[in-house]
Amino acid sequence: MTDEPAPIPGLTADEVLAGEFVLGLLTGERLLLARGRLAREPDFADAVAHWEDHFAPLLERWDAVEPPASLWQRIEAGMSDDDAQGAVTDIVALDAMRTSIMRWRIVAAGLGAVAVVSLLVAISPPVRTTEPAPDPLLAASIPIADTPLRLALTWVPERQQLTVSSTGLVPDGVHDHELWLVDRAGDLHSLGVIVPGEEARFSVSPDLAGDFRDGAQLVLTREPLGGKPADADAGPVVAEGEFTAI
Amino acid sequence: MQQAPLGVDRDSDAEAARAALKADIARLATGDRSALKDIYRATSAKLYGIALRILGDEREAEDAVQDIYLDLWKRAERYDPARASPISWLATMARNRAVDRLRTRGKVAHASVPEAAAAHVADGSVPADGQIELDQRDARIHFCLEQLEKRQRSAISRAFLGGATYIQLAEDDDVPLSTVKSRVHRGLSRLKACIERQ
Repeated sequence: MTDEPAPIPGLTADEVLAGEFVLGLLTGERLLLARGRLAREPDFADAVAHWEDHFAPLLERWDAVEPPASLWQRIEAGMSDDDAQGAVTDIVALDAMRTSIMRWRIVAAGLGAVAVVSLLVAISPPVRTTEPAPDPLLAASIPIADTPLRLALTWVPERQQLTVSSTGLVPDGVHDHELWLVDRAGDLHSLGVIVPGEEARFSVSPDLAGDFRDGAQLVLTREPLGGKPADADAGPVVAEGEFTAI
Repeated sequence: MQQAPLGVDRDSDAEAARAALKADIARLATGDRSALKDIYRATSAKLYGIALRILGDEREAEDAVQDIYLDLWKRAERYDPARASPISWLATMARNRAVDRLRTRGKVAHASVPEAAAAHVADGSVPADGQIELDQRDARIHFCLEQLEKRQRSAISRAFLGGATYIQLAEDDDVPLSTVKSRVHRGLSRLKACIERQ
């Protein structure tokens, strides 16, 4: 967005950005920038919280409506599912190489907890820890071919955390899309299978974190449901983009 | 940004409800799952009302509310009581979740929901729900929104209450993006000044 209006008296640039973010007005790079700053700048998070606190009463005034009784039962069931999955993902978190892809695959494949635990224990390499990289915040906005949609990525280096927003994407029931980072040597590393229409945050192994840099290439491939089979080549590239420091 | 002045004559029941809600969220953050039921009991009608208003579809609203409470269950520790009132935080979460669904569905309602919402906001009615506090903050934002120029108020209301982005506002109003941004920026500036005066 290059046609920014002139600064407005009485508001700092951060207050404007925070207000726009809370109102949900932003798209593209400005949205990525705001998300990234919210994740890592307490002052900006304060500015966002102030606007939220100002605007929330507009929502609170809407009439309350009793949801059906079945809704709580669904939520309780979801908590139980989460308990089971939490046990798995705790172990996944130990798997420094495969954290992101395995966690996503577990969801996609719907594997039983016991089977997954056994599998992960078998393949988990030793845990390694590294100091957070003093790298810049990165963002990428990847246009999806033949659609007006974009995949929005934000990388917060301090947390070694990637946020992937695929709002607008819908599953076709036949394919999944897998996101890959191209490392300095040109090799592809899977970042996971995109869950259509959702915003997902996931951790990246310290080994791979060093390849999250300004200009790093990203590609999206079309795969069978569940992602690229271990014994097959990656599917066709349907979109590509690169990280930009913001 | 300066801390906005807080109301001083809040209803004591509302204050007690807010304190209880904060305590429940804190309990949930420690892993006490029974706290979620208490939070649900106190807030689900309000959050479902928000989701239903934005999405206009019971099934979608139920899914959105389910997502909100499960998300809360997983990440209750994100709530910072120093930053926001608990119901504001949850209401905002409900709004954001509902708008995400609206966009995912590709059906952002350009006019119907926002205009109706804006009209509702301006009607000054008092909600029947006694579980949730509505204090001076409520009166303040309504009063200050009313002070804005109509087009500024409309843009802000359609964004926050209807899920419209800058691009959609510009398309709906058939004006350049820079015009919409300017309206919003001036509206935000006047809102801030007004809120701080109240």
